[in-house]
Amino acid sequence: MEACPPLEVMEEAPQRSNDPLERRAIERVRNGDRGAYDYLVSKYIKRVVSIAWNIVRNPHDAEDLAQEAFVKAFENIGRFRTGEPFGPWIYRIVTNLALDVLKHRSRFRHEELTSAEPAARRDAADLRATSDEIADRVDRALESLPEMQRVVARLSLVEDFDHSEIAKMMKLSEGTVRSHLSLARKKLREELADLYD
Amino acid sequence: MTDDPFFDRLRNDAVRLRYDGDAMMVTRVTARVRERITAPPTVSLFLARWLRPVAVSLSAVALAGCISVALLERSAAEASMETLSANSMEISMAGDIYRVGE
Repeated sequence: MEACPPLEVMEEAPQRSNDPLERRAIERVRNGDRGAYDYLVSKYIKRVVSIAWNIVRNPHDAEDLAQEAFVKAFENIGRFRTGEPFGPWIYRIVTNLALDVLKHRSRFRHEELTSAEPAARRDAADLRATSDEIADRVDRALESLPEMQRVVARLSLVEDFDHSEIAKMMKLSEGTVRSHLSLARKKLREELADLYD
Repeated sequence: MTDDPFFDRLRNDAVRLRYDGDAMMVTRVTARVRERITAPPTVSLFLARWLRPVAVSLSAVALAGCISVALLERSAAEASMETLSANSMEISMAGDIYRVGE
């Protein structure tokens, strides 16, 4: 499973990390201080699990994927360019891992948590998120979308990534992302017309 | 934000669908990651780490060798065909002479 994204993408548009603690932690990890990795894990863990959860829709899988993503990032930290933000990199890794899980599921026709059993296997945090009726409607509308539209729409609407970030995370062109999002928007508008129109 | 009010309002509600794991989740995953990255590599992992690139390199060399041999054999066969067609051969049988290759 090739889930560690190439760094060339990051080299195209170099960004600078604004967090000196993060830069220092990465430097220390590169110098062999494994304990310094805790800072990076604790800083990004919630967002990474949320991204995974929004793709695979299963809290247990999401945690496993987050764990796997952090281990992969650690193993490849030597390739990481000093000074760049760690976030986009770990987000891409976890997105790729989660998309691999989706491919695996569709290949074996394995049905995980779907909208058919909305709250049965969700934990307290999830229930809190969807307890609101509107959020629940939005959640169900998003789940009714075809797979790629669903993933792109969730990364855009729920995780608030822009087109170029989603394109890099999913290894798609920005045009494809826009196209998926446009189709998703049309369906969501039909589905949620009574809520927003 | 977009120029589409529908999407902006939808986004405001959708943000609430973020998975906001509790402190236990954070502790659990952090501990698992720490355990994975600090655990000494097992023999199989150690071997896999070294053998994988070696196996890839050997495969690449073997593939290049196969392609080279195939190309050499092909050019040798073409050369012998050219030689055969360029040189005629005379066969005499029962007083008659037959020419082959012209």
